[in-house]
Amino acid sequence: MNTDIQLTDWREQALQFERQINQTVIGLQPAVRHIILAVFARGHVLLEGNVGVGKTTLLRAVAQGLGGDYQRIEGTIDLMPADLIYYTYLNDQGRPCVDPGPLLKHGDTLATFFFNEINRARPQVHALLLRAMAERSINAFNRDYHFPHIQVFADRNRVEKEETFELPAAAKDRFMMEINIDMPRGDTELDELMFNPRFHDTDRLITGVANSGIYYRLNELAQTVQQRIQTSPKLHAYALSLWKATHQPHQYGVQLTDVEMPQLLMAGASPRGMSYLIRAAKTRAWLEHRDHVLPEDLQAVFPVCMTHRLFLNPMVAYRKEQLLPELIEGILNQVAAP
Amino acid sequence: MRILLIMALSLLGCSGQIDEPVSYFKVETPRPFGYVNGDEIPQHIVIETRSGISLQPGSLPVKGQINRWLNLNQVTVKQSGQRYEIDFLYQVFYAPLEVKSLTLPGFTVQLSQGEKSIGQNVPAWTFTLSPLRELMVRQSEQGEYMRPDSPPPLLTDTQALYGLAASLSVAVLIAVYLGYLYGCYPNMLRRTVFKRALRKLAGLSKADMEQALTVVHHALNSLNGQPLFLNRLGEFYRRNPQYLQINAQLLWFFNYSNRYFFSDGMIVVAQDLQQLKNLCEQCRKIERGSR
Repeated sequence: MNTDIQLTDWREQALQFERQINQTVIGLQPAVRHIILAVFARGHVLLEGNVGVGKTTLLRAVAQGLGGDYQRIEGTIDLMPADLIYYTYLNDQGRPCVDPGPLLKHGDTLATFFFNEINRARPQVHALLLRAMAERSINAFNRDYHFPHIQVFADRNRVEKEETFELPAAAKDRFMMEINIDMPRGDTELDELMFNPRFHDTDRLITGVANSGIYYRLNELAQTVQQRIQTSPKLHAYALSLWKATHQPHQYGVQLTDVEMPQLLMAGASPRGMSYLIRAAKTRAWLEHRDHVLPEDLQAVFPVCMTHRLFLNPMVAYRKEQLLPELIEGILNQVAAP
Repeated sequence: MRILLIMALSLLGCSGQIDEPVSYFKVETPRPFGYVNGDEIPQHIVIETRSGISLQPGSLPVKGQINRWLNLNQVTVKQSGQRYEIDFLYQVFYAPLEVKSLTLPGFTVQLSQGEKSIGQNVPAWTFTLSPLRELMVRQSEQGEYMRPDSPPPLLTDTQALYGLAASLSVAVLIAVYLGYLYGCYPNMLRRTVFKRALRKLAGLSKADMEQALTVVHHALNSLNGQPLFLNRLGEFYRRNPQYLQINAQLLWFFNYSNRYFFSDGMIVVAQDLQQLKNLCEQCRKIERGSR
């Protein structure tokens, strides 16, 4: 019973946190909801969107609201893995010094690690990040460093493709969600963004987000949520059908225009991807005041959890911006429960 | 004596036949009787001329109507040296009431030698034409004697009928296939989804609640064309606005189904099944258009 009360309290804090973010970054409610889900499911998040739509502001606001030690690095073409671990400089006495880099600076209290423009970094950097994301540890100076609380937020620009490195499939798979950030559509929000001086100074805007101080309890909370929220055999069957449909969509009646469906996909969702999906769905059920997962929970997080895990055949890969959303929509429209 | 012989030979030389322009002329005609309306009458003319004399083809009668009852159907002229063989084929269109004597008109064949012209008469030819019918209508002999012509025999149309039947069959098959492509039959089936669902529900009891819920889910999915969930009812109502009137029942159904299938500790009572059947009946009424 105590756990139930605790979960209820936590939910109120989570929803309050969500409301606060929505007041800071306006017009991005669906993206904010997905980030909240990822945070409380302890999953890493990759944001993709056009320039200046608020990706960085959103992530900074979330990091500020969560509390915890925060580090940030900008992806550049000459960034090397060592730059994440240490940096060298000459001190006041002219002696060379080695100090911990962004990853090691806060040690095991590192909470939010924000990797800006991740696709500008080299694959070597991606490889280091892979281990940090998957195992929450890295090896440096002949020993392992653990980051039990690390939460990686990364973003990438959708427009520019020059001097960028496409994230490898393994790196993408370690992100729980890839969230597309689009410009707010409502005229009211656009008007606010243009004329309200509050949104002109990002630093002041972020400073206004209250630090909830909940960050270092998130692991415990997430574990509780995952244990308390139940899934029924019917839901297992539904999730299994969704998984199979990501590998063989044509067998579930999914049809896309001008595509030979059996040749559409090179790879479907991975087991890790499906476990992330269920974790996110359970977290959503918790936020929706339920103690059991419904198909609509899976449907709500399916696009953000799955789109970056489906790899199209090179013959149609050039149409992925169009085909992947259609495929996800088709799968959700064809798989029934019960 | 010698002088007498010379004179006798000279006289003999001068006593030869005088040269005629036509050395041979003959008109050959068939029998001059026994013709009826529509018969064809051939006429064969042979002319042999002296050397240097030629026939003027323009002087021959031309093909076509000669007079109101006589047609010249064919004119053929064959020449071999000075011999001309001319064939005419006349046709008679005269319906006499009694045997009547008629005459193929005569004409003159022109022969020419240089600028000189000589005529050769082809005489008229008389023949008799018989009537085709009785002159007296014999009413006494079994009533009507004059009968209409027999109707023409009909052409065999069996093949055409078979072809028509085959074409119609193919057309029907194509129309059925086209209907399938246009998705007409799912629509037809959709009009009976709740009829079939009600039939299945009829035999189910409280213990078969899972099956009963599945039946209604399948019916709603069929109607919607894709799986229908609680959070997509809005789209469903946009496509099927007539179901908006049972929104409360549908909400009950989806919430009940969610609790039954996805949460623990659901206790089923008999009233639930009855409510499910009521929902299905409401849907059936909407499906039939009576609500």
